[in-house]
Amino acid sequence: MKRVTMKKILLTSTLLLFSSLVLFPQQEIYLTLKEGVPAIAMALPNFIAHSPSPRAKEAAVEIHQVISDDLTYSRIFELLPKKYYEYISLLDPKNIKFKDWESIQANILLAGEISEGEGENIIFEGKLYDVKGARFIFGKRYQATKSLYRLAAHRMADEIVHTLSGEKPIFTTKIAFISDRDGNEELYLMDYDGQNQTRLTFNKTIDYMPAWSADGKKIAFTSYRKVGEAGLYLLDLEAGKIVPISTRGTNYSPSFSRDGKKLAFCSTMDGNSEIYVANADGKNIKRLTFNEAADTAPSWSPTGREIAFASDRSGTLQIYIIDAEGSNLRRVSFGGNHNDAPAWSPTGDRIVYVSRVENIFDLYILNLRTNQITKLTESNARNESPSWSPDGRHIVFASNLDGAVQVYTIDYDSTNLRRLTSTGSNKLPDWSN
Amino acid sequence: MIKKTSIILFVCALAVMFLASCKPKPKTTPPPPPPAKEQPKVEKVEEAPAVKKPELSEEEIFMSKSLEEINLESPLKMIHFDYDRYEIRDDAKSILEADGAWLKKYSSVKVLIEGHCDERGTEEYNLALGEKRARSTMDYLGSLGISPDRMKIISYGKSQPLDTGHAEMAWAKNRRTQFLIIEK
Repeated sequence: MKRVTMKKILLTSTLLLFSSLVLFPQQEIYLTLKEGVPAIAMALPNFIAHSPSPRAKEAAVEIHQVISDDLTYSRIFELLPKKYYEYISLLDPKNIKFKDWESIQANILLAGEISEGEGENIIFEGKLYDVKGARFIFGKRYQATKSLYRLAAHRMADEIVHTLSGEKPIFTTKIAFISDRDGNEELYLMDYDGQNQTRLTFNKTIDYMPAWSADGKKIAFTSYRKVGEAGLYLLDLEAGKIVPISTRGTNYSPSFSRDGKKLAFCSTMDGNSEIYVANADGKNIKRLTFNEAADTAPSWSPTGREIAFASDRSGTLQIYIIDAEGSNLRRVSFGGNHNDAPAWSPTGDRIVYVSRVENIFDLYILNLRTNQITKLTESNARNESPSWSPDGRHIVFASNLDGAVQVYTIDYDSTNLRRLTSTGSNKLPDWSN
Repeated sequence: MIKKTSIILFVCALAVMFLASCKPKPKTTPPPPPPAKEQPKVEKVEEAPAVKKPELSEEEIFMSKSLEEINLESPLKMIHFDYDRYEIRDDAKSILEADGAWLKKYSSVKVLIEGHCDERGTEEYNLALGEKRARSTMDYLGSLGISPDRMKIISYGKSQPLDTGHAEMAWAKNRRTQFLIIEK
């Protein structure tokens, strides 16, 4: 966590930008959230329960905690230390004393209230204020039962980030992964923060390498469910149906383009590991690479015009970029002799990949604009299978850092390492859009 | 079904009754049977003369087993590879020759060759490497005269280690191709 003491100039500039948003929302002027710019100071006092019932109090605590965790994780906001709230009078949602909140250096204030809803429901109302401008920005009301308090909180946090930054929020996104906790490798899902880990496939064989469709409604994955086949399948989450896409040879490394139109994957259907591109429904499969070397791990650029992949065509395993039509091949990694699993950032300017030296795998970020490479992880372990959060600020990956392979997240600047799983071994995470 | 059976039963009963009515009826009741002795005579139970089964040929024994039973016996031996390599090692050649001879003997067998890797490669790379190991195994068996139509290959990458250890001992065991008989 950074210090709360903000540089006055930066504070003023962010406030100016913020005022612009309020005055001219149609111009889509957002807070510019550059890396290295201090986070926005936000006041998130305890939520007020308008009911003496224990469940209203519980909801107030839980929802407040989840929003607080979400906004802290965003790297956009910096929550004021709780002790600051003791310096000013208690929040009265009907009469916000903006001067008080300004005095403790809050830029933004979220006031939350809980009341009783229908049946088992509670109603959570969140209102966001611009402290300096002394104005209301927006409010949201959610009705939820206990099991959905977290989701209501994530939705509110999504709204806050989206409204203030214009960015794609991540708090209702999911991570698909493979776990052997129930005996053999099966497909699982969890919330971005590791909560609600849920099993999706039930069979006695291996399911492997999941990838989200652009709309988050489908997951492509490899499965050994039929003897003698390592097929690529498509799971429709809403219909609960699984259909085969390609079953000849070994089929793996699916990757959907972000425009939702295409699916790239690897297959040995023609004898050697090559990259193929199909429509997003798995139809109309076309071969993209023609090479005696093994071409693996395709990842689309956010525009859908290019694909990054790994190939050992030079004699060592390196990262390449090729146009989606199959032309204009260029090598982009040069150091080391085993660079694999590229994942193109949603911002388009970076590729995270795995580099192996002996038995140590670390993640590196290649900046395509500057050609600079930065080391993201530094550990005596195998860190692999990186996948970006849709806002491009976080990376989920698998690592044997703590013994068994588990799923972790880390921020783009190597901070905030978190472990999300702990039961069994867990790997091959893929972050939804 | 029940109806049919009961009709048959009824007809049978009628027939029995008819036959019974044809017999001349005894005029007197027969004397009661002598009371059973408390200690009956001991009868020796002897084994029926053994039926000699015809001798099965090896082929017949083989065909009488299920695929599962055959695979449990692993008649085809796995081979191992050097780190990051997929070429057939010299020590693996003699094993494949024995495997090839077995495949020639049981010429109806079809086999799945599975390529496996140790944990020191990335997931994607290992799937490609496992595939190459399976292919070089298939090619070597092909050079021994086994038809490619009888062989299918697949890669498991590093997902199915035989030994879950994290040192060379385990890795050496895990870098392998192994066989699964899928048809006989």
